[in-house]
Amino acid sequence: MDLAFTPEELAFRDEIRAWVKDNLPADISHKVHNALRLTRDDMQRWGKILGKKGWLGYGWPKEFGGPGWTAVQKHLFEEECALAGAPRIVPFGPVMVAPVIMAFGTPAQQQRFLPGIASGEVWWSQGYSEPGSGSDLASVKTRAERQGDHYLVNGQKTWTTLGQYGEWIFCLVRTSTEGKPQTGISFLLIDMKSPGVTVRPIRLLDGECEVNEVFFDNVKVPVENLIGEENKGWTYAKHLLSHERTNIADVNRAKRELERLKRIARTEGLWDDMRFRDQIALLEVDIVALEMLVLRVLSAEKSGKNSLDIAGLLKIRGSEIQQRYSELMMLAAGPYSLPLIHEAMEAGWQGDFPGGVWANAPLASTYFNMRKTTIYGGSNEVQRNIVAQVVLG
Amino acid sequence: MDFNFSDDQEQLRDAVRKWVDKGYDFERRRKAVEAGGFDRSAWNELAELGLAGLYISETDGGMGMGPVEGMVVMEELGRGMVLEPLSQALIAGGVLSGYAPDALKAEWLPRIAAGDALVVLASQERRARYRLDVCDAKASRSGAGWSLTATKNVVPVGDQADAFIVPAMANGAIALFLVARGAAGVSTRGYGTQDGGRAADLSLRDTPASLITTDGLAALELAVDIGIAATCAEAVGVMDKTVELTAEYLNTRKQFGVPIGSFQALRHRAADMKMQLELARSMSYYASLKLNAPADERRRAMARTKVQLGHSMRFVGQQSVQLHGGIGVTDEYIGSHYFKKLTQLEMSFGDTMYHLGEVSARMQDTAGVFA
Repeated sequence: MDLAFTPEELAFRDEIRAWVKDNLPADISHKVHNALRLTRDDMQRWGKILGKKGWLGYGWPKEFGGPGWTAVQKHLFEEECALAGAPRIVPFGPVMVAPVIMAFGTPAQQQRFLPGIASGEVWWSQGYSEPGSGSDLASVKTRAERQGDHYLVNGQKTWTTLGQYGEWIFCLVRTSTEGKPQTGISFLLIDMKSPGVTVRPIRLLDGECEVNEVFFDNVKVPVENLIGEENKGWTYAKHLLSHERTNIADVNRAKRELERLKRIARTEGLWDDMRFRDQIALLEVDIVALEMLVLRVLSAEKSGKNSLDIAGLLKIRGSEIQQRYSELMMLAAGPYSLPLIHEAMEAGWQGDFPGGVWANAPLASTYFNMRKTTIYGGSNEVQRNIVAQVVLG
Repeated sequence: MDFNFSDDQEQLRDAVRKWVDKGYDFERRRKAVEAGGFDRSAWNELAELGLAGLYISETDGGMGMGPVEGMVVMEELGRGMVLEPLSQALIAGGVLSGYAPDALKAEWLPRIAAGDALVVLASQERRARYRLDVCDAKASRSGAGWSLTATKNVVPVGDQADAFIVPAMANGAIALFLVARGAAGVSTRGYGTQDGGRAADLSLRDTPASLITTDGLAALELAVDIGIAATCAEAVGVMDKTVELTAEYLNTRKQFGVPIGSFQALRHRAADMKMQLELARSMSYYASLKLNAPADERRRAMARTKVQLGHSMRFVGQQSVQLHGGIGVTDEYIGSHYFKKLTQLEMSFGDTMYHLGEVSARMQDTAGVFA
């Protein structure tokens, strides 16, 4: 038992730290550190910088052009990026669909799709949820009918994050209604420029359009865009979910946001207010405990042991913590979190925010936005069902 | 970064578990509780396993082991809710080894390791509550030695111990002393405690004492931190059993014609108990792995840990009782004893609110496992 990273791991961390310091554009990290609005260009610019270095697919094995890092190295990379104020890597391409293409795609599909994902050139979206399929994902209804050399796709996806920028979308589609719902699902890659694809943004409670509805109206998709076998899509989707289990806890971002919360508390004159300060202290304990939990999962992965009985806890705890820090930031600013001035959430805004602290502008919006975290990726109630299965059988 | 136990540590765990399972069942424990809450023969058996000398060097007759071994042992003792306070032997071994003059070490360490001397920390004072820097006990020079006048409360097995480690004010600062129970002016009043164990009030009147160190506050902080790490590990053992027992009950108890573990409201509660257990286990690892860190870092880690453990113990204990229904509040059922043990551990070496204050006071700009 040893808490410390090995000298090799620490050297690796230093290398990453130095590289991120030299390569992360200051205008982007300024936005991230202050929760200002990130544009498509911001996200893609950072993605391409990583892509050029070969690190956008930082979880990829060497045989597919990735760095072949260990679980610990991946964690350290995520940590250095988060603490430096890098935007989260848009996960749909490099983190989600790429491992499925590697595991179940044909060599032709791998050669066709992976380079664009690795370089950050092609923006991918995820087509899982539907109006009638939330937590019960296996009930998807979007149909794909085989017609000669193509599928004809009809239906609707929803909650498609950043889908307004999407160029390709990976979808779970129904190819059969026989047997259990899980057995009739296929995994299809769809060019979003195809005729019949319509993307409609959904305005959320924070006023932003982060998610979309995607409609498919007689969309022709070539059969060579099917991953693996027809009706086996559920297996592939589960493979996707088994990847990057520790990443979902987002503990590194939580550490960065805890620092920000402390800065805000100081600015708002609450650092020496015992009642408020104790709430920060509680959050600090929660974050350290979550980090220890993450490190335990990493250690288990490192030594090839099954960590399943604790990995399921990460999403629940991580999302609760994200909500808590955003809540405390808003409460710290108090009445000065209430003015809704959209321009003030843009970097470089020169106006006069009520109370004089422009950094307060996005706090309430972020709080509202973070309510999603206990809902998406399998709601926390569904996660509790899974944990209960481990405890009770 | 590695949380695997070595083969030696696993063997140590097996040995202690075997003793708990075979030698310390619930019936033996119940008899010990009825007999006053301390069983010297059980203490001797722990010493025979070498556990009393875990933190004492091999040259002084101990095992010369470290915090991870201490954690492994305490977890197992927690699983059996062992009444005999091994954490006190860890404290005495650690503090005397670290701070006592050689002559005092030579006199006491081999006897502690052998189980012949049970030495306990007697620090609790009414005015101090959990604060370590508040002390009304007085030490004064008496010839070449020292003499103490003090009142200490809730001293673990105070009326059965052979000696006490006592903080007292000497020349305006806290110093740490060793007092033999047989010394002049020592009186004790023993009583049972809520967890079935035993404690005593200790009164010293012009009692001759041996100086351990004039660096008393630092030594006392180490003593308490050893106690916190041990207590947290013990609590993980208790909670492990509590969650196991509750899961078993949910799967066997039937109402409305089905096992109650099929109801989602109860399943989610079980999931939340598992969450609290694993957060607690994670932080127990953290505490033990920080026990040898520099004092500042060590103290911060212990405070964080005790806050998490406090929350976890309260939640797991209370919910276990709730999920058991009526049987959960009976004395006959083992579950209520787990609950009482967890409650007492929360209030040992500083409770959750006290340690939250410590975390709060010690906060820096950055925070994490490594900061």
